[in-house]
Amino acid sequence: MGDAFCSDCKRQTEVVFDHSAGDTVCSECGLVLESHSIDETSEWRTFANESGDNDPVRVGGPTNPLLADGGLSTVIAKPNGASGEFLSSSLGRWQNRGSNPDRGLILAFKTIATMSDRLGLVATIKDRANEIYKKVEDQKSSRGRNQDALLAACLYIACRQEDKPRTVKEICSVANGATKKEIGRAKEYIVKQLGLETGQSVEMGTIHAGDFMRRFCSNLGMNNQAVKAAQEAVQKSEEFDIRRSPISIAAAVIYIITQLSDDKKPLRDISLATGVAEGTIRNSYKDLYPHVSKIMPNWYAKEEDLKNLSSP
Amino acid sequence: MAADTVFGSSHVLDSSSSTSSHPLSPGAGVVPAIENVVSTVNLGCTLDLKAIALHAPNAEYNPKRLAAVMIRIKEPKTTALIFSSGKMVCTGAKSEQQSRLAARKHARIIQKLGFDVKFNGFKIQNIVAAYDFTFPINLIRLANSHFKFSVYEPELFPGLIYRMKQSKIMVQVFSSGKIAIAGAQKRDEILKAFENIYPILMSFRADK
Repeated sequence: MGDAFCSDCKRQTEVVFDHSAGDTVCSECGLVLESHSIDETSEWRTFANESGDNDPVRVGGPTNPLLADGGLSTVIAKPNGASGEFLSSSLGRWQNRGSNPDRGLILAFKTIATMSDRLGLVATIKDRANEIYKKVEDQKSSRGRNQDALLAACLYIACRQEDKPRTVKEICSVANGATKKEIGRAKEYIVKQLGLETGQSVEMGTIHAGDFMRRFCSNLGMNNQAVKAAQEAVQKSEEFDIRRSPISIAAAVIYIITQLSDDKKPLRDISLATGVAEGTIRNSYKDLYPHVSKIMPNWYAKEEDLKNLSSP
Repeated sequence: MAADTVFGSSHVLDSSSSTSSHPLSPGAGVVPAIENVVSTVNLGCTLDLKAIALHAPNAEYNPKRLAAVMIRIKEPKTTALIFSSGKMVCTGAKSEQQSRLAARKHARIIQKLGFDVKFNGFKIQNIVAAYDFTFPINLIRLANSHFKFSVYEPELFPGLIYRMKQSKIMVQVFSSGKIAIAGAQKRDEILKAFENIYPILMSFRADK
């Protein structure tokens, strides 16, 4: 309610402000003087006692320092089950006209996120893998590489750096299409690039069988006693000169422990859980057999049980 | 000679490298055996690979896999890759002189087929040597203490790859005690690398 000059009545008239439509209307002739007025009053009310999870001041997801603008842009998502040969909505086609420089990065991050979800990795490992990928991408020389292998290798290195190593075979299983050899080569390449960029900062310790023990044992469903015995056994076995890959030693130790306990796991199950071939487990068992009495903790297995172990 | 310096003789005339007077240095005559020499030479004219493959004895040519003809000769037992530009790579020889002789023999084969070959720019690109220490080596401890130079990935490759700081020589160390030295272009680069790595590996012996 106020007074303004109406152009039709050519004099000052009483003007009504319609809040719902945002119009300023002359009350005598009905002419709309101003429309689309912007309401500058407060959008929501804040109470002291109610915090809740939604703070309306904050919008969008967490800023990503790796992306160029912090991840500010809005992305049009593909509607579920509506995909034709091309993006169904013209909005989607407009979005992907390819002007934003980060598109490759965003796609790579999404792939890394999918892979780490499949392995059940924590967010720290995923973020570290993203960082590693960004560092490698900054040096343009990585164009010709197999992208899948590169991403898988980033994830592999991130797991190693966080002291939660995953075997290359495990990474292989979630990386679509990358072979063990390709991932290995990509990993060497990344380590070299990171070393070139920030002189010798790459620190990755060698893997030990004990790092994988917990995971393999829980995959097989062994009970707590067996798991503890297996971890002790693997620690002791490192003193002996057994020339086998640590994963194979771990698999062989699990085989011995399960043979000594009540529920004997067949070789096939152990092979599936660890990714080691059955023949390799048998050969590692042959190598371990001479030292089995020194490796096995004596609270778990007595001498007679060890004698009952089948000689390879 | 190296034997004198091992016993710490004060009459050392030549200023040998510091590793020679190291108590763990290799004694006289302990030297790695050269297993493979790779060399290249330019024959100086374009070649018709199909004609060579058809007429030369012991020739393999699979253009879908590799754009070169592979010719093998029995003495010295070597393989040569011959490209259509006239460049040739000769591998498998056991010494530098044998590699040069073998490259000449291969060039003679091509010459007999009627091409106007020359022998330009013969260069030895790579020498590989092997040695057996006969004692097992603890690769994990070696990798942990020399982490700046070694790469040890038991999942990917059973041997530890040791890259020297000063040179581009690469040494592959296996837990059985056997080593392979590669990447040298001259014989004394190999000997120098061997002298450098000898004391390091002695200190990481795994047997009691």
